[in-house]
Amino acid sequence: MIKKTLGRFLKYGTLISTYCLIASVLLQIFARFFLTNTPPWTEEASRLFFIYAIAFSAGLALKNEAYVYLDVFYDKLSPKIQKGVLWAVRFLTFILFGLMACYALIFTKNGLSETSASIPMPMAVSFFSMFILAASVSFYAYLDLKKSLK
Amino acid sequence: MIGLIIFIFLIGLVLRFPIAFALGLACLVYVLSEGIPLIVLPMKMYSGIDVFVLLSIPGFILAGNLMNHGGLTAKIISFCNHLLGHIRGGLSLANIGASMLFAGISGTAVSDTASIGSVMIPAMKKEGYDEGFSCAVTAASSTVGPIIPPSVPMIIAATLGGLSVGKLFLAGAVPGFLLGIGLSAVAYYISVKRNYPKHERSTLTQIFKSFVETFWSLLMTFIILYGIIGGIFTPTEASIIAVLYAYVIGQFVYKKLSFRKVQVVILDSMKTSASLMVLVGFANLFGWILITERLPQLVSSEILGFTTNKYLVLLLINLLLIFVGTFMETIAALLILFPILLKVAVTVGVDPIHFSVIAVLNLIIGLTTPPVGVCLFVASSIGKTSIAKVSKASLPFLAVSLIVLALVTLIPQISLFLPGLFAE
Repeated sequence: MIKKTLGRFLKYGTLISTYCLIASVLLQIFARFFLTNTPPWTEEASRLFFIYAIAFSAGLALKNEAYVYLDVFYDKLSPKIQKGVLWAVRFLTFILFGLMACYALIFTKNGLSETSASIPMPMAVSFFSMFILAASVSFYAYLDLKKSLK
Repeated sequence: MIGLIIFIFLIGLVLRFPIAFALGLACLVYVLSEGIPLIVLPMKMYSGIDVFVLLSIPGFILAGNLMNHGGLTAKIISFCNHLLGHIRGGLSLANIGASMLFAGISGTAVSDTASIGSVMIPAMKKEGYDEGFSCAVTAASSTVGPIIPPSVPMIIAATLGGLSVGKLFLAGAVPGFLLGIGLSAVAYYISVKRNYPKHERSTLTQIFKSFVETFWSLLMTFIILYGIIGGIFTPTEASIIAVLYAYVIGQFVYKKLSFRKVQVVILDSMKTSASLMVLVGFANLFGWILITERLPQLVSSEILGFTTNKYLVLLLINLLLIFVGTFMETIAALLILFPILLKVAVTVGVDPIHFSVIAVLNLIIGLTTPPVGVCLFVASSIGKTSIAKVSKASLPFLAVSLIVLALVTLIPQISLFLPGLFAE
């Protein structure tokens, strides 16, 4: 249930952020050519949507094995050792991103007192994307870990 | 300490850790052992990704994928076949030609190998071409993609070196064409020697009709380059214009895209982009650690202590990059090594734009260097051929690539001519 809901949340989050990213860059171009003033917030908004699009899709990338790795040496190991190595990789990935997710919350909290340069919002909104990124990767690493223990 | 984190990173790579995560783990060990607050992890990841020009990477990847799903690959191959099919070994030449045209759209070598290879390798095998040769041509020609603009590695190099993306795109154009012509010459020589088949010459009407069908995709490259070089768009804006253009062409001209398909393409493209950006984020932290440990200065003084001869320094850098490029993914290698080596190269008087082209070319050649070149693996799996056979067949192409690399290294004008021309 959680897996399905999170998968949907990340999928729609990626799609919406990407559409918003495209729209804000197009608005920037349109304003420069056809309006007297270019809105000052478009560049920052584009960066915000970009970071969120990346944050939402980072976990999905792990789920779909989109991260590049080197398997030349791994393929030469015996199946038993391969299984152990894979378990260790998943465990360490879970730890790395789990720790990062915890500290991303502190990072977000620090951003509450900072205000964005051109959009009237606290930087915590942008910084929270790092929590989504780390937590989703950590979650999928945990699912892989659980699967490999069965 | 720096030795330990490099050791952990290498162990991670050997144990099939995703490269980005191996880098992250090595950084984590450093941060923990030095007592640095762990908040540095999300902070550096955020500041590494929060760069406006990097927005162009998902843009170009998405535009390329939209074009590809819009049925463009088949049209490009068909056009090249009409144009070159009547020459002996025409399919191998069409393969290289298609890669050169596709280069203006995709920007990555592996996607080029996969998309063109899936059409060309079976077609070449069917016509009696040796399967090792078919795979080797496909893998070798795909390396042209990241040199001819738009190029994802060039955007990364520009970001790392604080250089103009437009100038780097221009700098890659001539070396890319040189590489394409060199590879075509080898393919033709081998084809004549082995008496590979040729097709009937297409009529001018057939060629024109095929050109019209491909025209829309070729126009995209022109729009991107003209937009950036003419100062009309920033690289990021050009990439989004390319997305919009690819969507309109795929939906209304080629009529191959649907709303559902576009969503799938967006998700796929963003997953690829996310895997790159997580790498960029951790590389930012890794770079910060290297600077804290004064590694760039150390490497610089070691190399310059050995020699200050510009060409000898470039030779050493070339050897290092080809070796690293054989084992490591292009972007990862670029993110880790480029800032350090750029400093050394600039110290001995190499132009940063020239050096960027050398570095990208080196790492791209590494993708087809036996025994672990990634493109060789992709091509061999499409052609269902042993990697040993493909590696052997790729050696003549590798030799040409190395000659082009030597030319680009020794004659800076090959890279600097076009940026200089447009700057004037």
